[in-house]
Order: sequence, then structure tokens, then C-alpha cells
Amino acid sequence: MNPDTKQINLTFDTTREDYRIAWLTALAISIHIIESALPSPLPGVKPGLANVITIVVLLMYGWPTAAWVAMLRVTVGSLIIGTFLTPTFVLSLSGAIATIMALGIGSRLPGRGLGPIGYCLVASMAHMATQFIVAYTLFIPHDGLFKLLPVLMTASVVFGIVSGLIVNAMMSRLRVE
Amino acid sequence: MTRADYIVVIFAFIMLPYLYMKYWQAPVQGETAQILIGTDKKMEVSLDTDRQFSVEGPLGTSLIEVHEGKVRFVDSPCRGKQCVHSGWLQQTGDFAACLPNHISVAILGHDHVYDAINF
Amino acid sequence: MKQMLINCTVIYTSCLRQLILCASIPFLVTACGSQLHEARLVAFGTLVDISTWGVDSETSEKAIAAVESSFNEINSTWHAWQPSTLTHINDQLAMGEQIELEPDKISLIREASRLADASNQLFNPAIGKFIALWGFQNDDRPQGPPPEPTAIKSLLASAPSMKDLVITDTSLKSTNAAVKLDFGGFAKGYAVDQAINILRSQGITNAIVNAGGDLRAIGRHGDRPWRVGIRHPRESGIIASVETTKDESVFTSGNYERFFDYQGIRYHHIIDPRDGYPARDSISVTVIHDNAATADAAATALFVAGPKLWRKIAAQMGITQVMLIDDKLNVYMTPEMAKRIHFEIDPKPTIIIDDPT
Repeated sequence: MNPDTKQINLTFDTTREDYRIAWLTALAISIHIIESALPSPLPGVKPGLANVITIVVLLMYGWPTAAWVAMLRVTVGSLIIGTFLTPTFVLSLSGAIATIMALGIGSRLPGRGLGPIGYCLVASMAHMATQFIVAYTLFIPHDGLFKLLPVLMTASVVFGIVSGLIVNAMMSRLRVE
Repeated sequence: MTRADYIVVIFAFIMLPYLYMKYWQAPVQGETAQILIGTDKKMEVSLDTDRQFSVEGPLGTSLIEVHEGKVRFVDSPCRGKQCVHSGWLQQTGDFAACLPNHISVAILGHDHVYDAINF
Repeated sequence: MKQMLINCTVIYTSCLRQLILCASIPFLVTACGSQLHEARLVAFGTLVDISTWGVDSETSEKAIAAVESSFNEINSTWHAWQPSTLTHINDQLAMGEQIELEPDKISLIREASRLADASNQLFNPAIGKFIALWGFQNDDRPQGPPPEPTAIKSLLASAPSMKDLVITDTSLKSTNAAVKLDFGGFAKGYAVDQAINILRSQGITNAIVNAGGDLRAIGRHGDRPWRVGIRHPRESGIIASVETTKDESVFTSGNYERFFDYQGIRYHHIIDPRDGYPARDSISVTVIHDNAATADAAATALFVAGPKLWRKIAAQMGITQVMLIDDKLNVYMTPEMAKRIHFEIDPKPTIIIDDPT
């Protein structure tokens, strides 16, 4: 036996696609960190603008990659900010999981399925609703919290539509390349 | 925009008003006292500002005071002054009445958790 | 891994679908107004809250007006001290006269007598003279001092009781001049029963009639049961809550309802017929039973019975759900009551569940 043939080839063939995904992930993480600096009525409940990236990835590379990017964003983002395993992280994570699942359902719809705005709206509403449920169940089981729900969901719808428009803009630019 | 997109948007625009209707129905306020005069007149008084005011009944003027979230009859033209002796009303369901003057005061709950309070 | 993700997604889809259905259908079906209608009126010397569910406000208001008339009528018929049918009856009874009465009045007296019997006379509506002696047969609050022991002793010797009554289908007579009927621990329950009957006759099947804290609830609040909060007998706030099913009355007798303080001692209106003094040992008794009149009488009787005798008397009266709180704030309950009552205070009080076996 030639000892050389036992050597395992550890070089990775990186493609253009990998670069792009890595770049998008880094962008998502950055947006996540910036968003964390924004004030909000309920600690940890954010507009979810980083979802824009998730959906761009979804549209370009499919759901599994989008799921991966979303999870990376939340985990790495919280590690960098220093909120890993805190309540804020739990809220982000639950929002991300809800988003991933909602997008998963959305991507399986028959016919032409959802466009950017549809995906963004679904993701944003699932994200906010789940964050609210988690916040209520785990952190603030106070009935008065429900007074915030209509406002939060309104924000999520608004941000969802805005994200959808941003995704539209990004997609036309990215496709041209 | 695909057809599915439109469905999602329509759903969102139906869901939002529903949420407002459901969760914003109860007034967001502190406790209130309800004053019944005779059989048909009703007054609601918020207990968050201290004040004194008078209420007219068939027998005369009853004086009512709100102080630190509580309410009471200060004076009344009835003979027995049972209403005054009831003292401060504070909890949901607390009730005092000047029956001769047809005036009653009761604390309304702002907490809609219970449909009725037993005591 | 992929399979697990797919499974999760399927479950989430069905939940989401369910959520969407639940969210949109009620909105589409329910009118902008709620199906709950609440009214408040002063009757029976107290505040009566009536809630109805599932009927329009017109039907509800009409029924509530009828209930108000009923309360006023019962109050003026059975008032213990203001001139009423009852005071007239008492005058006649004291003179040893036989009185002719309508069937509905006979049946109330008969029922009260039956309950007095079942409670070993601890619920004794014939002790009106004691209640007057203590000053509670008055619109004004008594000031004290408490009556002289000799006055109490001599009344005790005359031993007024429902057993002294001779009741026929049309008439009433007493063999003891000391009998003075006071249905304070019973008439409210009776009135609440009549109110529920009236609501039912108007087609209302979901309602609560709450007369000054004692209530009967029928049906439900839409898709959930009616929720009743029970006030703490001493502190502010709710001590426990219960969800009613089908048709139930929740009645509480407490030492805080009518009382006066004299030289540091509290004297309340629930007189123990055995010694003529306000019953000690208990501070409140809550009874859940279908019929309100029975619940009212039972709450009174068990309050007098106290921690030692309540279990026996409850069994005799056919009451299975009792919560008694003694002056040390120990809570005594039947197993049936323990199963459904939910304590809202922290820490939970000392609970003693008394098993009949």
C-alpha cells in the first residue's frame, strides 16, 4: 500500500455559488447585528428585515440553503453580539425557525407558488406571531401583552411588504449579473 | 405578484382588523366606579383622579369622593347613613347604596378574567 | 434529517391552517357587537349583576326587566322588618292565629322547613327575634353594645324553631309565640332561582344572576365555561376561582357581610341558634349546588356548623361541594370541591380535604 494514497484530500472546491452564499450570509449576520441595536416595544422582537436575505437565498438557491443561512444568521449573530442562549436568542431562534418552516410550506405550494412579496409577508407574519407566542409563554405571561399583538402584527405586515419590495429590487439586480 | 401572493396579502388585511377588534375591545383604563341614580341614569367615574362630586337624588344631594383609587359616600340626606358607614369601596364588586336617595355606587372590574365575583 | 424536517413542516402547516381557520371564521360570523350582555340593577337591598350570552340585547333587556320586577316583588313580600306579607304573617303567628296563604308562599315556607330539618336546625329561619335583638333587623347598621346575656338566655329558653309550625297546603300556624320568621339566609337564593326561571322562559340558556355576590350560572360564556372568582374573606383580591358547568349556584356566607364592632369585638349577623350568639370558628363558607335556595340555606347552616360539624351537616343536606375557611385561614373542603376549585393565591393555604368515609 502506498502511504500517499491514504492521504485524504482536504482541499475544497469552492464555487462561485459558495462565495455568493457566504457573502449573503455575512450580510444577513450584519443586518441581524444592526437590527439588534434598534429599540423595540418588546425586548427581542425585531422587524425581521434580515429576512430579506433569507428570501433572496430561497429564491436563488432553494429552501435547504435558505434554512441553513437563516440558522447561521441567528446563531452566529447572537454569538457575536453576545446574546447566545439568552432570552433574546430564544426569541430570534424561534422567529427564525418559524420563518424557515413557513417558507418551507410556501415553497411547496402548487402552481407558480409565492413571489417575493408573498414569501416576505408569510415569513414576517410567522416570525412575529411566533416571537409573540414565545414571549408570552416563556417570559411575560401577562394578559395585557395581547394589547400589543395587533400593533406588532401590523408592523410585521408593513415590514413584510417592504421586505418584499426590497427583495424584488435585489433580485432584478442579482439576476442581471 | 402571483395568485398565491394576493391570497397572502388578503389574509393579512383581514387578520389585522380582526386582531384590533379582538384585543382592543376592552378599554385600557384603571378601575372605574359606576353610579346608578334611580332606575335609569348611569354614571361612570374613573378612580385614577382624586375628586369630590355631588349626585342629586329625590331626597337631596349625596356627596361622593374618589381618593387613591377608592370611592365612598361622604354624606347623604338619608337618616341612617348606612351608605356613609359602608366606608371606602375598593375592590371589584364592592358596593354601597343610599337606598332612600336612590343612589348606588359600585366598583366595576377592568379585569375581564372573571365573569362574576362571589363573596 | 430531511424527513424530520418535512414532518415538522407538515405539523406546522396543519397548525397554521387551523389557526387561519379559527382566526377568520369567528371574524366572519360574529357581528361587530359581542354576544355578552351585562346589566346591573339595585334590588333586594343589594347590587344584582345579570349577564346573558347568546341572545340579542332586546331579548336580554326584556328578560332582565322581568327579573327586576320579580326581585322587587319577592323583596317586598318577604322583607323581614319593613311592613310586608312576612311581617303580617309573623304578627299573626305571634298571636297563635292560623293564617291562610297562597300555595307559592306555603311552598317556600315548607322548603325552608325541610332544609332546617336537614341541617339539624342550624339553619333556623324561625329565630327572627334573635336577629332583631342583635340589631340586624334594621336598615341602619347596629352600633352596639351587644344584647344582655339575660335577654339572650330567655329567648333561648323559648326555643323558636321551624318544628313549631303547623303547615297545611293552605294555612300556617305556630305553636310557639317566640317564632318570628326571617328568611335572610334563604330568600336571596329563592329569588335567584326565580330569576333564572324567568330568563329561561324567555329563551335564555346562558346567563349568570349575581345578587350581591351570591350567584347561579347556567350554560356557558360562548365556547368556554363561566368563570367565577371567589373573594378572599379577609384580604383584598380573589382567593380561588371555579368554572361552572351546566347549572350551578355558588353561595358564600361570611362574617364580613353584616356586622358591627364594639369594644374591639366583631359581632356579625349569622346567629348560632344553639347559643344565641354570632357563630364563631368560621369566617366564610362557600357552597356549590344546583339549586340556589338550597345553596343559600346550606351556606348559612354550614357556617354555623363550623369546622367540627360541617361534614355531617353537609351530607345530611345533600351538599357535596363545600369550602369552609376557619378563623385561622385553614381551608376545609370536600374532595369534589377540591377537584374543581383553583386557588389563585400564593402560597396556597393549609387545605384539609375531608372524606366522608
